[in-house]
Amino acid sequence: MADDPDNSVDRPSDDGDASKPEKMFTLKKWNAVAMWSWDVECDICAICRVQVMDSCLRCQADNKRDVMGRQDCVVVWGECNHSFHHCCMSLWVKQNNRCPLCQQEWSIQRMGK
Amino acid sequence: MSAAKKYKPMDTTEPNENTENIAACLKKAENAAAAAAAAASSLGRSAFAAQNMNSASTNGERLPNFSKLGGGHHGEIRAASTTSNLLNRMGAIHNSKPGDVKKIVIKNFKAKPTLPDNYSEDTYVKLEEAVIAIQLSKPIKYSLEELYQAVVNMCSHKMDAQLYTKLKELTEQHVKRNIKLKELTGGSMDKLVLLEKINHWWLSFCQQMIMIRSIFLYMDRTYVLQNSSIHSIWDMGLDLFRIHFAQNSVVQKRTVDGLLTLIEKERQGSTVDRGLLKSLVRMLCDLQIYTSSFEEKFLDATNQLYKAESQRKMQELEVPEYLQHVNKRLAEENERLLHYLDSSTKHPLIYNVEKELLAEHLTSILQKGLDSLLEDNRLSDLTLLYGLLSRVKNGTSELCGNFNGFIKKKGRTIVIDPEKDKSMVQDLLDFKDKMDVIVRNCFEHNEKFTNSLREAFEFFINQRANKPAELIAKYVDMKLRSGNKGTTDEELEKTLDKIMVLFRFIHGKDVFEAFYKKDLAKRLLVGKSASVDSEKSMLSKLKQECGGGFTSKLEGMFKDMELSRDINIAFRGHALSNNRDVHNLDLCVSILTMGYWPTYAPTEVTMPPQFINPQQIFNKFYLEKHSGRKLQWQPTLGNCMLRAQFDAGPKELMVSLFQALVLLLFNDKPVLSYEEILAATSIEDGELRRTLQSLACGRARVITKTPKGRDIENGDQFDFNNEFTNKLFRIKINQIQMKETNEEQKATEERVFQDRQYQIDAAIVRIMKMRKTLSHNLLITELFNQLTFPVKPADLKKRIESLIDRDYMERDKDNQNQYNYVA
Repeated sequence: MADDPDNSVDRPSDDGDASKPEKMFTLKKWNAVAMWSWDVECDICAICRVQVMDSCLRCQADNKRDVMGRQDCVVVWGECNHSFHHCCMSLWVKQNNRCPLCQQEWSIQRMGK
Repeated sequence: MSAAKKYKPMDTTEPNENTENIAACLKKAENAAAAAAAAASSLGRSAFAAQNMNSASTNGERLPNFSKLGGGHHGEIRAASTTSNLLNRMGAIHNSKPGDVKKIVIKNFKAKPTLPDNYSEDTYVKLEEAVIAIQLSKPIKYSLEELYQAVVNMCSHKMDAQLYTKLKELTEQHVKRNIKLKELTGGSMDKLVLLEKINHWWLSFCQQMIMIRSIFLYMDRTYVLQNSSIHSIWDMGLDLFRIHFAQNSVVQKRTVDGLLTLIEKERQGSTVDRGLLKSLVRMLCDLQIYTSSFEEKFLDATNQLYKAESQRKMQELEVPEYLQHVNKRLAEENERLLHYLDSSTKHPLIYNVEKELLAEHLTSILQKGLDSLLEDNRLSDLTLLYGLLSRVKNGTSELCGNFNGFIKKKGRTIVIDPEKDKSMVQDLLDFKDKMDVIVRNCFEHNEKFTNSLREAFEFFINQRANKPAELIAKYVDMKLRSGNKGTTDEELEKTLDKIMVLFRFIHGKDVFEAFYKKDLAKRLLVGKSASVDSEKSMLSKLKQECGGGFTSKLEGMFKDMELSRDINIAFRGHALSNNRDVHNLDLCVSILTMGYWPTYAPTEVTMPPQFINPQQIFNKFYLEKHSGRKLQWQPTLGNCMLRAQFDAGPKELMVSLFQALVLLLFNDKPVLSYEEILAATSIEDGELRRTLQSLACGRARVITKTPKGRDIENGDQFDFNNEFTNKLFRIKINQIQMKETNEEQKATEERVFQDRQYQIDAAIVRIMKMRKTLSHNLLITELFNQLTFPVKPADLKKRIESLIDRDYMERDKDNQNQYNYVA
């Protein structure tokens, strides 16, 4: 984010290309902003009904998010492409090793990081 | 002894024939007295003194009784004790060499000594004459020693009872005679003169009684002491005086009235003879009628005077002046106590004065005066007020209550008026400072007031929901934003501490958080934060106040900024080694975690390839590193630097992404219409108009608009402004900020409400997890304790229902009002 004036002034040599001087405006620097979120179909965990971007309800209750809680409460995707809080799912599979949404056998496709 | 000395001249002129007689009769005593007499006479003392000493030495063990005989006799005691010391020493000398001298054998008298006939009658007459002479302040015919000896003899021969009765009669007659004197009872006499007369009479009566007591000392020490029912001579005198003084209501009343008049005169400001007052009050005390005849009337008079005065003064005077007056009065009364009143009156007198002057008018003093004193910050008057009111019952609590009321009333005016929103926080801070100073300096830092101050602030600040919290957040933003020059870090720190005090009063802390977060985001993304240290310090203050849960997202925002820095360094490395396309452009991306940051409305714009390409490269790079994530680019938040080629020379323009998109269009076509720009960028209509306005109508006009005018209309033509000049090389073109609309504000509040739901859920689960089972009411109470924002029980009930639906908890099968936690 920090302005970096040195970098931007540093490259007048590039402007020396044949086509460039005719241009009235040249883009030198772009400070962009992007939001990241879990790439999920449904942004609410079907087990705890909390947004997957937030810690799951139990983690919130334990105040785990004090120390960058998300690392403890990541998202997990099944082979069926359904996603839940990893905490919620690991509790769930103890009772029933199926996806709560589609009843397919639960196997982890990938974990958020 | 002073009396004895006074009469000494007579003593020497009169012949001492009787002494010899009596001495002859008292051979028993002579043995012991001889040595003493010799010693004393050798020292040049009078015989009377020697005799006195003798009695002192024989009655040595009774010496302490002297002190009981009334005031003003210290001289006597000292004299007696020194002479007795002397005697003891003489005796010691005498006894030190008994071995050298022959032993003296003392034998009993063969016959009992007898008194001469008529002795008792004669002596009665003699003593009577003497007593009357003393009472009339006339010279006594006989020497005092002679009289004393006479008393000793009478007592030795068992005539002490008659003698005492006789003396009592004489004294009583004298008192009666005096009290009936016309001058005391006559109606016409001036009160002052009367008082002086009585005083004089009393003082001489005391003198006389001392004198008489000296003569009858022997009787006082033998007969009186042996009969406990009989008063000593001094007490007997006082007793008689009291009886007759008390019986004669006219004299007594006139005396007391006189005293009261005198005191009232003094209270009105005249100077009076305090000595006279003191002497007469002491007389009343000595006679033990101070309480019964004087004190009550005095207090009554005091009450009446001050009741009338306080009513009048309350009308006439402003409250501060009235308080000064009361203070003066209290000081005067204390002085009065010091100078002539009996100290036992102190408590009732001061109590009464306080009651009449203060307690009775407590409410009106406070209602009439307190507000303006507080308003005008009159510290010394407030100190006085506190000092005075703390003396009366309920004084401080009434004061505290009114103080509380004032703060609530005044505070409400600061908070409630939307027109004063601009200055609200500063006003609150100033107001709090002012009240703090008053509590600290004027109210002795009384804890009751400190608490009341806090309670009042908390009360009024929440009178208006949400707005104060929002404004406090904005105030902090203003302080933390750069460009706030002139304040040092320490001053800023102090301000933040004060803000935290206000923050503590706010009930809807999450409202504060929402607005604070929005401003913090702006500060971080635009790099407008004045000092990282101050930001961190504020954050730790909030954490301390509300716990980690409250600040975790704010902390997450700072963390995001740090992570982004690392990612950008890594990306630059990656781009340099792999792809030449990005090489020309310095791309810097801030990656924000959704949920930590405020939500921004997603907008889609059409971007030229020079943006799209690096963006895609970055996307690929990032998602390789972080699987399972997706990136949503925020065009509204980015900014760019453009190099521009004008006739006057190259410039660097600092612009927003939207401004950059518009300007870059002019590379392909020098003149563009509004519709063309809209089609090419697909920036939202209102946003685009504001963007064009900032470029064509702002301070730095890098494009020109035809026709000219402030507002952007459909069909307007835009032209690259080749003649643009500016003395700066690097120019920032400010965006035109859309004013924060009500909708936006509502959106923030809505989000706050959303968050509250999650917080309630979390709190319920937390409590249930700990307690396992809990009744509905207890759960609600616990929740009210834990939640940092105001909620309605109905809302809580909804959340509980929702949690039951989601199998976090269940109703007890037997008891509908009981919940069980489901693990």
